[in-house]
Amino acid sequence: MAVDDKNILNRLYFVAGCMFIFGIAVVFKLLSIQFLQGEKYKALATERVVKDVVIPANRGNVYSVHGNLLATSIPRYDIRFDALTPSSVRFEKYVKPLCDSLSLYTGKASHTLEKDLRRARINRNRYYLLARNIGYSDYMRIRNFPLLSLGAFKGGLIVEQTTKREHPMGGIAQRTIGYERIDDQGNITRPGIDGAFGVKYLRGVDGQRKKQQIGKGQWKPLSDANEIEPKDGYDVYTTIDVNIQDIAHHALLEQLEKYRADHGCVVVMETKTGEIRAISNLGRNKNGHYYERLNYAVGESHESGSTFKLMALAAAFEDKVVDTSDVVDTEKGVLSFYGKKVRDSKRGGYGKITVSKAFEVSSNTGIVKVIDQGYRKQPEKFIDRLYEMNLNDSLSLPIIGEPVPIIPDPRVKNGRWSGIALQWMAYGYGVSFTPLQTLTFYNAVANDGVMVRPRFLREVKEFDKVVEPFERVVINEQICSKETIGKLQALLKNVVEKDHGTGHRLYAKNFSMAGKTGTCQKDYRDKEKLNYISSFAGYFPAENPKYSCIVVIHEPEKGIGYYGADVSGPVFKRVAKKIYTDTPLVDEVASLEVQAVDVNEDYENFYHTAQTYKTIMPNLIGMPAMDAIVLLENMQVDLNVKLEGHGIVKAQSINKNKKLKSNQTVVLRAS
Amino acid sequence: MVRNTNRHFKFDWITILLFFLLVGFGYLNILSASHTGTDINYFDITQPFGKQLIFIFLTFGLIVLLLAIDAKFYERFSSIIYIVAMLSLVGLFVFGKNVNGATSWYAIGGMTIQPSEFAKMATALAIAKYVSDLNTNIKSFKDQLQIFIILIIPAILVLLQNDTGSTLVYASFFFVLYREGLPKFYLTIGISLIIVSILALKFGAIITSVTGLVFLVAYHFLSKKKLKIFESIFILLAVVSISFGIKFFYQSILQPHQRDRISLWLRLEKDPAKLEKMKQTFAYNLNESEKAISSGGVTGRGFMEGTRTTGKFVPEQHTDYIFSTVGEEWGFLGSSFVVLVFVLLLLRILHLAELQKSQFSRVYGYGVASIIFIHFFINIGMVMGIIPTIGIPLPLFSYGGSGLWAFTILIFIFIKLDSNRINEW
Repeated sequence: MAVDDKNILNRLYFVAGCMFIFGIAVVFKLLSIQFLQGEKYKALATERVVKDVVIPANRGNVYSVHGNLLATSIPRYDIRFDALTPSSVRFEKYVKPLCDSLSLYTGKASHTLEKDLRRARINRNRYYLLARNIGYSDYMRIRNFPLLSLGAFKGGLIVEQTTKREHPMGGIAQRTIGYERIDDQGNITRPGIDGAFGVKYLRGVDGQRKKQQIGKGQWKPLSDANEIEPKDGYDVYTTIDVNIQDIAHHALLEQLEKYRADHGCVVVMETKTGEIRAISNLGRNKNGHYYERLNYAVGESHESGSTFKLMALAAAFEDKVVDTSDVVDTEKGVLSFYGKKVRDSKRGGYGKITVSKAFEVSSNTGIVKVIDQGYRKQPEKFIDRLYEMNLNDSLSLPIIGEPVPIIPDPRVKNGRWSGIALQWMAYGYGVSFTPLQTLTFYNAVANDGVMVRPRFLREVKEFDKVVEPFERVVINEQICSKETIGKLQALLKNVVEKDHGTGHRLYAKNFSMAGKTGTCQKDYRDKEKLNYISSFAGYFPAENPKYSCIVVIHEPEKGIGYYGADVSGPVFKRVAKKIYTDTPLVDEVASLEVQAVDVNEDYENFYHTAQTYKTIMPNLIGMPAMDAIVLLENMQVDLNVKLEGHGIVKAQSINKNKKLKSNQTVVLRAS
Repeated sequence: MVRNTNRHFKFDWITILLFFLLVGFGYLNILSASHTGTDINYFDITQPFGKQLIFIFLTFGLIVLLLAIDAKFYERFSSIIYIVAMLSLVGLFVFGKNVNGATSWYAIGGMTIQPSEFAKMATALAIAKYVSDLNTNIKSFKDQLQIFIILIIPAILVLLQNDTGSTLVYASFFFVLYREGLPKFYLTIGISLIIVSILALKFGAIITSVTGLVFLVAYHFLSKKKLKIFESIFILLAVVSISFGIKFFYQSILQPHQRDRISLWLRLEKDPAKLEKMKQTFAYNLNESEKAISSGGVTGRGFMEGTRTTGKFVPEQHTDYIFSTVGEEWGFLGSSFVVLVFVLLLLRILHLAELQKSQFSRVYGYGVASIIFIHFFINIGMVMGIIPTIGIPLPLFSYGGSGLWAFTILIFIFIKLDSNRINEW
């Protein structure tokens, strides 16, 4: 090696120097951290262990129109056990009693639980799960178990409270009542009312309080008061009527199951106010069960089919291009436009019938012919008339996802217009509405022409104080003349009432309904996929309507049936019938009288017996036991009365008409 | 030799004393950092302090064994030891157990062994063997390349196992090679590279390049020894390309957590919100350890009295952050004492190395000092925020059986070699 001595020494000094200098540097840094910047770090140390803790505000409740809870937030608890915190003495002393208590609570064997707890302690598990998602009363119970009752620092009890949104009425109207859900990516899903009003009303404002760290994972509040008090969310009162909702839900479910349909919805709306009393949306999952999947009533726009004939005739009557008594030739049930055919569901057609009957039997050719003849030269007039009835407007609902209606228009570019658009529109093809949009029109007809906006909310309250009332909103004071409305109402009534009406199967003697069936083909461009949408829209009672209702059922199994009257009609009828029977029209005093008669009979029987028998044993069988005892104790002789059981006297130890002596014992057996 | 005539005192007792000072004091701090309650069972093997105590006891047996083996063994078998160590590192890819993101452990029964700790010792032996070979000329490029290959194999293997700290350990052999006559040229390049990289990251590539130009011009006018014009251009080009290259390396090759650490260290992040977030995430350890150290004062809070230690504010305090326990509980005096003992140990080993007659022993001694130094440097530097956070234990001090035994073997082989020096005479 050609390294001379001096060079070596230099190199040695360099290496040693590096190490020595670093040592000095460390000492200087130490001095700096501990003394020069000591204050800074100490300030940092206190500052960093104080943090702002968010106190979540309680979310407001959602109520039905009668004040039933539809959605509320309740506290749930997770109970965990820090297996290292209890001292060995305490752990050994209490582990058995604790496991016995837990065994009673969970139903698991005590020795298994003990084995688990001991293993947790050996594994240094400081977060051993004892119970998850339990309610308040269970939490209070577990908190008082041996060992755990010593608290967090001696007993190792760890309690974590979470708030959970509960729907006391179960899955009913779930998509409409709504919820707020946050997925892994932090995307928030907020359907329904909870979503629409969640941010503005239900959520409230979170509070804040400062907490100081006093050890690993332990935080104590810094001061007594909160820095910012949480402000609880407001309560939202919906227009949903739980009883109607319930019947609508189950009637729909029954029909969906019967026809093995893909999905369906039913909406019940109060005619005068537009308040939604029930809204049910059921879809089928993979296993063939139905549950609230999507808000079809609000969000699913589809071709209307025959229910649109009402709108078409409304325009025609208003423009006076036709009248109810005009006769139209249904031409053997087939009409042809540019090679495309319009067919009636009845083969051979209906012959020459009035416009009124064409509507009642739902003749496609009849209605198409009326509209074709009336508007062929000026389709814009027809379109404008529809527009005047606000049929092209969306309902501006607070619930998200409502599509705008589709009405073809020759004046608009890409307006979906074609040579047969007018004719096809006449019987509900090429136009597209959501069930709620269709219902709003039918409701306007029921409401003598006043079109009101469907409403889900009545008011928002903070305790008893109304924060924001929701009033009736009129979309259109008069969609068409009173005269036209009268004709439309008569037509709808006839559909159910007349023997030939498509809705006659719904006819009931004691209450009246009015409505229109709809059987619309879906995916008709492909014969393989051809399916149906069965609907029924209408209102009840037919005179002075109180509620309007629409039922739409998509893709019933064709083999079982698909006509609107068969598939959707029964749901409508059940809802109408239920509301009719639940609505007292006359005070039924009669039933009160019936009860009074019973009581009077009892009393008369008692009085008569008491007066007749003073020393002779009466027949007490069949008499209420209380009355019998009173009777015996009021005899002129002193008796010891014993009663076995309670209720109506079935047997007596002394037969009737026997003479009674003083201090005699009478045993009555009752049941 | 005057020093040791008695057979019983042939070992260098000063080194042994310093060794046990560090191990003993380390144990006390592990105990303080890892105990959980008031009733301590010192032999509770479910607890780190209990395990460490057993590791320490086993160390005595290991020491006796190491000193009993003939000194020639280590030199003769150094190549085989090196090969076995490398194979054990390769084996990790197949049989390794992943702990905290690094696949650096073998799990045997209830124990885990970290072969990278032992690989350092094996590499020190291999380097000593190669450099001390009579046919090796450290000034020749071929031999430099050979030495480089011996070092780069374990460095790459541990880097692939996500153990950045251990990779840097192999850079410490630079000290050894420098002492043995590696040209100054490498030192200049190494230091320049570090300075240019830091400047480029901190102030940007353009400012750094301009600064490089200014320096070259100034050098040209002020120095008597002029550079040739193509040399100047080459240096300038190198500075420019490193300045821009390091930016690319920083942004595209480094992993996000490494980038964050460097960014914090060089104070590159200016946004206070992001800084705050850094403090709560990856800089949390550093912050907590600095606070713990600062709360110690001159004399410290006393053994097992540190509130931030017993409160478990500092994560990993019994392993990589053990020095913060010293800072809090033993204060400035205690910390300085630890630093002093380390520096004394290092200087003692260097001193002994220079006394060796055999080049193998000397090179090995330098290797031992370098390995201990780089650990000490990175660990203490990290705990106090002098350098970016790199996970590496404090030798003889941090909790861990593999580490303790590997350093015991490292040091006591040298003590054995040193004692043999006396025997040979």
